[in-house]
Amino acid sequence: MALVDVKGVSKRFGGLTAVSDVDLTVNAGEVHCLIGPNGAGKSTLFKLIVGLYPPTGGSILFDSVDITNERPYARVQRGMSIKMQAPSVFKELPVRQNIQIALQERLSGAERSAEEDRLLTLLDLAQDSDKLAGALSHGQQQWLEIGMALALQPQLLLLDEPTAGMSPEETFKTGELIKSFNAEGMTVLVVEHDMAFVRQVAQRVTVLHLGKIFARGDLETILQDEKVADIYLGQSHAH
Amino acid sequence: MSAELFSVFYQFADVFAFLILSAAGLAIVFGMMGVINMAHGEFIMCGAYVTVGLVNLGVPLPVAQILAAVTAGLIGVVVEFLIVRRFYKRPLDSLLATWGLSLIVTQSMLLIVGSAVRGIGTPEGSFAIGEYTFSTYRLVLFGCAVAVLVGLYIIFMKTRFGVIARATMQNAAMAKALGARTGRIYAISFGIGTGLAGLCGALYAPTMTLIPTMGATFVVESFVTVVVGGANVLLGTAPAAVFLAMIRMALNASYGQIIGQIGMLFAVILIIRVLPEGLSSVLVRRGR
Amino acid sequence: MFKLLDGPQTLGRGKIFWSCFLAVLAGALIYPVFADSYDVGNFSYFLIWIFMALGLCLMWGYGGMLSFGQTFFFGIAGYGYGVLAINMGGGTTTIAAIILSVLIAMAAAAVLGYFMIWGGISGIFFGIVTLSATLVLAFFLGQTAGPEWHIGTARLNGFNGMKGMDPLAVGDFYIEGSALYYVMIALIVIVYIALRMLVNSSVGNVIVATRENPQRAEMLGYDVRKYQLLTFVIGSGLAGLSGALYTSWGQFITPSSIGLPAAAMPIVWVAFSGRSDLTATLVGSFLLLFGFQTITVYSQQAALVLMGTLLLATVMLAPQGFVLGIGKLVVDWWTRRRRREPAPTLADAGRLQSDET
Repeated sequence: MALVDVKGVSKRFGGLTAVSDVDLTVNAGEVHCLIGPNGAGKSTLFKLIVGLYPPTGGSILFDSVDITNERPYARVQRGMSIKMQAPSVFKELPVRQNIQIALQERLSGAERSAEEDRLLTLLDLAQDSDKLAGALSHGQQQWLEIGMALALQPQLLLLDEPTAGMSPEETFKTGELIKSFNAEGMTVLVVEHDMAFVRQVAQRVTVLHLGKIFARGDLETILQDEKVADIYLGQSHAH
Repeated sequence: MSAELFSVFYQFADVFAFLILSAAGLAIVFGMMGVINMAHGEFIMCGAYVTVGLVNLGVPLPVAQILAAVTAGLIGVVVEFLIVRRFYKRPLDSLLATWGLSLIVTQSMLLIVGSAVRGIGTPEGSFAIGEYTFSTYRLVLFGCAVAVLVGLYIIFMKTRFGVIARATMQNAAMAKALGARTGRIYAISFGIGTGLAGLCGALYAPTMTLIPTMGATFVVESFVTVVVGGANVLLGTAPAAVFLAMIRMALNASYGQIIGQIGMLFAVILIIRVLPEGLSSVLVRRGR
Repeated sequence: MFKLLDGPQTLGRGKIFWSCFLAVLAGALIYPVFADSYDVGNFSYFLIWIFMALGLCLMWGYGGMLSFGQTFFFGIAGYGYGVLAINMGGGTTTIAAIILSVLIAMAAAAVLGYFMIWGGISGIFFGIVTLSATLVLAFFLGQTAGPEWHIGTARLNGFNGMKGMDPLAVGDFYIEGSALYYVMIALIVIVYIALRMLVNSSVGNVIVATRENPQRAEMLGYDVRKYQLLTFVIGSGLAGLSGALYTSWGQFITPSSIGLPAAAMPIVWVAFSGRSDLTATLVGSFLLLFGFQTITVYSQQAALVLMGTLLLATVMLAPQGFVLGIGKLVVDWWTRRRRREPAPTLADAGRLQSDET
């Protein structure tokens, strides 16, 4: 069953068409990766799904409800949860309070404290819980933000290059974390650059190129598709 | 008929000149450096006082006005060096610091000079078209406003300083890396901004009563014009002034000054609701 | 409830802080017994302005919205009280007048705030639009000298101001002198405690989150605009409370308490005190008002020059605020001294740490 259904969505900025007539479905329960070379329109498509831009044309359905013109907070209230590309946390607030702000709509009192502790431990941030979030390393801030996104217990987790700036070990751990949440039933849509990470988590892949869908299918098929390798390796790929 | 048409133009020109002259200096400082200079009104006051002082000493009015603008510009350079320079990365703090300065200056002037200063009176001269008579000086003001716009266009689009200054406002670090002396450019730009404020005060000095708090009379108009215009001085401020002048003129004519001002404020709030980035964002986008 | 009072968003926590708080409160309560009635009246006068400062502290320090419009709402409620009290008559109806006038100020804040917040105005522009509205209101009221400017039987009177309204009263008993002083103290305690509870509640969490990163807050499912509007309406409503109390205290109000330089005063108090904390704002504003009143007796201009200098000095030397900075220094010193003692009891005076709630 399609949890997200993007139908013929386009986005133009002045004369530039960043995303052109794109169809994309994310099925409930899968980890779906959106890949493509730089400038393919991945981040724009991501922002359209999230609600940061209104699309120029087309429609976006979430759980069969048209959300094309809804603002981001309304989409989050419907069960989406979002992590943007650059780490975006509440820098002047302590780490624990960051998590608390994400949790407080869902839990309160002792339950919330217990869940805060559980998440902080899961994210390896327990010993830093009183630090200001801005004092964390770049990788830790990425984790904290993923933690805040997970704290909402979303139906759909949207991640834009979640591992940017992480070490290989951190990247691997992030992948395992995403897989474990997926195993519990969370649908995940990831925009990613790092092919190792895509191999680790992806079940289905959509390739975007020059603002259009270039290829889609399960991970194996895409990895063996020579055309995909071509656009990734560009002109340097010898024919 | 033509006399009535001219009368409409005359009223428009009057408001337009007031908006451009009071806002131009602020727009440069804001557009260039993102600094909202709350002491803008005090630089206007400075221009007015210097003009009146010099005229009372026997200096001819136009010379006094130019000297007043230069004085305000030089004071601006000093203020930039002592205060504003520290806050380029903290625009809100620069606003607060200049507000503090504004308080200090107005209240010290009240303490030292007192509230009353002998005015110099509007230069005589009027002309008539049909049954209407018009003050020549008001048209001179309109000419000055147009001259300021043309002058700014030439300075920022045609001179070497202008090119470097625009590069600096786009990307100060890059301009610096390319050898531009950004510190000096900021100081000069701030000086031009306050100099224009001084010019505004100098030009309006003959038409109004001088009190140390006179800056406040200009503050709303200048801020509002800059907000409506957005960050681009050349593309934003002038159209904003045209737009606001038309609203204001229409309301002034039918309901009087105060309704004109309130109407202008409502127009601004509505515009910001529709175009948060100001008019220049639309014009710049169209231009692409 | 105690958790809300003593939560992470407010400095000054634990037994030591609350003991000091109670001691100060006790001192304030017995003060009229020892002081002459003129001084008590003066005290009430500058307590009036505290609400406006606390409101700005909420909007600016916690919500990140720098409103220059505190005197706008002060004026609306101040004139509102005048109009209502004159038209409805004195006595107990003045209580209704004060409540209504604050509600009018809040309604005005809701309208202005809606246009600004939904229009995406923030930062400097928020300040400019609120200041413009303030100056236009002052300008407007300044030219209402003619007899045609009246609301009911209340003349606006231009620069000379509106006068002739009754002060706060219950039946035949005028609330003035020590009675007014105690009303002020009670209101301040209520507002201070309520604001502490607000900022430490889950709503307060969203308010500070919006200040820190509005996009992130929205992506956690919060309609940040609603929270900003709420903050703006509460903060401006407190300015309205100051305005209504001011009019009732002196039985007059003029446009000069709205325009410049009055509009700059709340900014100076809160910036100097330390905008990020309610207690620092309370203490600092009180000190500044006290100092200002003392100097104003000799020269109002000199007092205003001092205010300007303090604002400039704060921004240049202690952007986080002098009172807050000194407070933190004292607490640090105290903590270090106590740590050196053999039995390291927990220093429970306020630090910027999250509580284990």
